[in-house]
Amino acid sequence: MSTVIRTSGLTKHYGRVHALDGLDLTVDEGQIHGFLGPNGAGKSTTIRVLLGLARKTGGEASVFGQDPWRDAVTLHRRIAYVPGDVSVWPNLSGGEAIDLMARLRGAARHDPAYVAQKQRLIEAFQFDPRKKGRAYSKGNRQKVALIAAFAVPADLYILDEPTSGLDPLMEVMFRHEIARVRAAGATVLLSSHILSEVEQLCDRVSIIRSGRIAEAGTLTELRHLTRTEVSFQGTDAAAIAGIPGAHDVVVEEGRIKFTVDSDAVTSTLPALAARDAAGLRIAPASLEELFLRHYGDELAEMDGNGR
Amino acid sequence: MTRFFALLGQRIRRDWVQVLLWAGGTGLLAYASYVGVADAYGTEQDRTSLLAAALANPVILLFRGLPSGTGQGAFMVFLIFPWLAMLAAFMSTFLAVRHTRGDEEPGRAELISATPASRTLPFIATATHGLLANLLLGALTAGAFLAVGLDVEGSLLAGAAVGAVGVTFLGVGLVAAQLMRTSRGANSLAVWTLLITFLLSGMGNAIGTPSDDLTRMESSWLTWLSPFGWGENTRAFDENLWWPAVLCLAVGILLTVISAVLVSARDLGGSFIAERAARADASAALSTPTGLVWRLTRGAVIGWTVGGLLVGILSTSLASIVQEIGAANPSVEQILRQISGEGSVEQGTVTTFFTMLGVLAACAAVQVVCRARQEEAHGTAEPLLAAPVGRVRWLADYLVVALLAIVLVVAAAVGGAAIGIASQDGDMDLMRTVLVTGAGQVAAASVFLALTALVFVLFPRLTIPVGWTLVVLGMMLGLFGPLFQFPDWLVHLSPIAVTPLLDGDDIDVRGLWWLLLATGAGAVASLGLMRRRELEAGG
Repeated sequence: MSTVIRTSGLTKHYGRVHALDGLDLTVDEGQIHGFLGPNGAGKSTTIRVLLGLARKTGGEASVFGQDPWRDAVTLHRRIAYVPGDVSVWPNLSGGEAIDLMARLRGAARHDPAYVAQKQRLIEAFQFDPRKKGRAYSKGNRQKVALIAAFAVPADLYILDEPTSGLDPLMEVMFRHEIARVRAAGATVLLSSHILSEVEQLCDRVSIIRSGRIAEAGTLTELRHLTRTEVSFQGTDAAAIAGIPGAHDVVVEEGRIKFTVDSDAVTSTLPALAARDAAGLRIAPASLEELFLRHYGDELAEMDGNGR
Repeated sequence: MTRFFALLGQRIRRDWVQVLLWAGGTGLLAYASYVGVADAYGTEQDRTSLLAAALANPVILLFRGLPSGTGQGAFMVFLIFPWLAMLAAFMSTFLAVRHTRGDEEPGRAELISATPASRTLPFIATATHGLLANLLLGALTAGAFLAVGLDVEGSLLAGAAVGAVGVTFLGVGLVAAQLMRTSRGANSLAVWTLLITFLLSGMGNAIGTPSDDLTRMESSWLTWLSPFGWGENTRAFDENLWWPAVLCLAVGILLTVISAVLVSARDLGGSFIAERAARADASAALSTPTGLVWRLTRGAVIGWTVGGLLVGILSTSLASIVQEIGAANPSVEQILRQISGEGSVEQGTVTTFFTMLGVLAACAAVQVVCRARQEEAHGTAEPLLAAPVGRVRWLADYLVVALLAIVLVVAAAVGGAAIGIASQDGDMDLMRTVLVTGAGQVAAASVFLALTALVFVLFPRLTIPVGWTLVVLGMMLGLFGPLFQFPDWLVHLSPIAVTPLLDGDDIDVRGLWWLLLATGAGAVASLGLMRRRELEAGG
């Protein structure tokens, strides 16, 4: 499998602000790669460097083995991009903006494949292409960019928080499209701060923090670093006694809860069976918890300042 | 009341630099024009002869005020008043639209309207803010006249009249903002109203009734259709009539009240003139980056081209009239020859008009280049540059369309000039002058194009202010410099003042090579530097 995106020690400074501070990101071909981090962590800056919209300060960055700044035009023939905050031309209609962007990426005006694809996407996303750009809400501007991106096939899709502003129904449509391009063999870099979305879609995840990758791997790999939460009905914490590896025992809302290391879950099962645990629930660590592991100290600090 | 002052304060905080520049600039222009007039037309005789020439020449009256005697103050008001009033009018319409439709279109007004301030209080704050700005502008203008030692009543009236014209156009801007759905639409409606009424007043003066001693003019009825005409008819430093200034104020306030009624009669975000329905698919023209640039700027380019056509028609049709007047009155002809720099009267008129055409063409080009900056700042350049479109190609498209705009404006003027000659059964030999000066102005306007592009690449955030300032400076030096008898080297800094002229049968190239060199160097440098420039959004 070949590497589509590779950065090593990538830095980008805006004056004294170090937006990227030695970022190492690797995305392999055919992957749906989740790029996670809160606003301001450097997600959009990374994407701008990868698209040749911003020039790196130092380090290495390559896309399909080429330099994203120097070979921007060649690379962009293979890339579809959805920006985080979509701006559209106020006096172009949505349909016109979609057509323009698709044609710039190589779609011919009367190409039946493109025309059909555009029509299908407009219906799927319930989009009205006849309004002027200035009349669109944030969600509708997002749809312009999504339809333009998905209407013309690409080898690499770079999506910067593509679902912010979409309603849940449209998010489902978005996941369908991701599944479709994945089946076609495309690579996707999906930047997001919506953890459930990444959890559902992505093969691999990179968590970015202050311009560096704090953690990267498959979800399973990352989960190994955390604990699984187990709970069952009951009110007496003493019922836990004797279960191997149980930590953080609490009783709330009529349930007894504890955590175990993720690779030790099976060893607790006989003990649970012996206690005839009713309403048993075993929840693997959510990405949310993974995320909080890296940002927990920042939250604590903010709480501290708040007081 | 607290809410009102909060809204008013917010407007003043947002605008104070801008308003100070407009008001200060107007005051400075008033001051400079007095100094220039005292210098160039210091004796009563100088002024009498220029007034006689002006009364005989509709071209001069079209862009000047109302002749009201040979007194130094009155003469100066005749030369400069319409331009002072025009600055006040521009400041006011832009201000009115900025704080009404300009806030409403992107949805900011919705935040305010959801508070107890509701919809009327922001409107009242905007109107008050506009009145205060015009009060300041009028006071600074009056102050400039007082500072040079003109009499008190005339100075106060001249300042008041300038501010009062501003108030009328504040009303025009407020109404336009109610009628149109977008701030662009509102601004263009207001600006067109401004330009048409400006020309109406000039035309009305040109066809007015001159006094027997050729020092005064009675405006025709046409002038009375225009706020500029009312302002001019105050005749400051002469008759000192206050009621036309009051008329300006009254109409301004009436228009403000009308728009207040309109505010409460419509939905937030709605308008009285509806938007057209848009198309679902792009036409074949909208398939390339160049097609997009043309689509984004064509409205403005067409507007400037219509302006070019008008200038062209006026230049030759009025030249023929001037020629006739000159033939009937040798002393007038001699004065006109002096004004037009020893060429024939017709050639002089064409040259003067085409100098102004150079300004129009430069405006068209600068507006196109500024569009590149707007695209960059509003984030709509990003999807293009993320597609297979190179940075250099992207900017080059704007330069090409800007050059096309210049050529279109000048070509329309040349066509208009031919129409003008034909309509007067004039001498087609004049077309040689038209073609040479027209081609020269293409070169002059291209300099503004190249310089603005260079500013865009090096200092993106300054593109719009610096680009337009260069045009205004070029106009001030090239168009008004000779009138105020600035030294030649200063006038010749303006590209529009050094274009080739027809000297007998030969062409005097004058500064042409410098113009071409500056254009070439600016274009190459800006495109070369664009290779290394990042996209700079925001601001």
